[in-house]
Amino acid sequence: MSTRQAQGTILFTALLVLIGIGVVVQLWLLAASVDALFRHETGTPIHAAIGSAVVFAINGLLVLYVFNFDRKIKQR
Amino acid sequence: MAEEKIDKKEGCVECQKKKNAQWREDFPVAWESDNYVTRREMVKFLALGSLTIAGANAVVAGLPHVVKASEMPRARIALASSIPVGGSRLFTYPSEEDPCILVRQNNGDLVAYSQVCTHLSCAVIHDEKENALFCPCHHGYFTVGEGRPYAGPPMRPLPRIKLEQQGNEIFAIGVEV
Repeated sequence: MSTRQAQGTILFTALLVLIGIGVVVQLWLLAASVDALFRHETGTPIHAAIGSAVVFAINGLLVLYVFNFDRKIKQR
Repeated sequence: MAEEKIDKKEGCVECQKKKNAQWREDFPVAWESDNYVTRREMVKFLALGSLTIAGANAVVAGLPHVVKASEMPRARIALASSIPVGGSRLFTYPSEEDPCILVRQNNGDLVAYSQVCTHLSCAVIHDEKENALFCPCHHGYFTVGEGRPYAGPPMRPLPRIKLEQQGNEIFAIGVEV
């Protein structure tokens, strides 16, 4: 494996871990909003949903970056 | 030792024969590659999971706004003149299984709350000396004015019953959680 390939693998693994952490954060937000729903609080689930959407946007951008990276490599 | 080595070697030869059996060539099944999950597949799976969770969060946030609380009945609960200052009266609202307490505060205002303690669902009672709603099970105290917990284990306020007075009659018209 060349140095470039090794760097790519490390980068890809790091992105995978980042997206995984994002999903865990989203699960935590979902649990908090369900808990708030049962306590009849309306504010917390809205904030949690906004937070979850932001995390999803970040995850989506990371995934797009990964696929663009792949495309560039294949073109070469 | 030498015999054992030969045996092992022969065993390995047998293994090789089994591995190279004719049926494997005739019916190749790539079990390993079938179960192999690439990083890219994992990323796609996580991205889809992220989208699903974001959607679920949006549904949870929108649920209270879409599903409106059913209309609460209007029920006559007491005569205003029958409750002295500092006094209280028990009633049920909105159904017979929902105990509530009506209290006349020292300033003359009437307030009503669900009698079910928000800690472990014991029945709260009016403590005239402390001017509070008191849960005898775990010594929880709620303010009479707002139903907020200020002592003991309860963390959430008591659901408030909306009242309406018409002449001398007091009606319960809804529950404010």
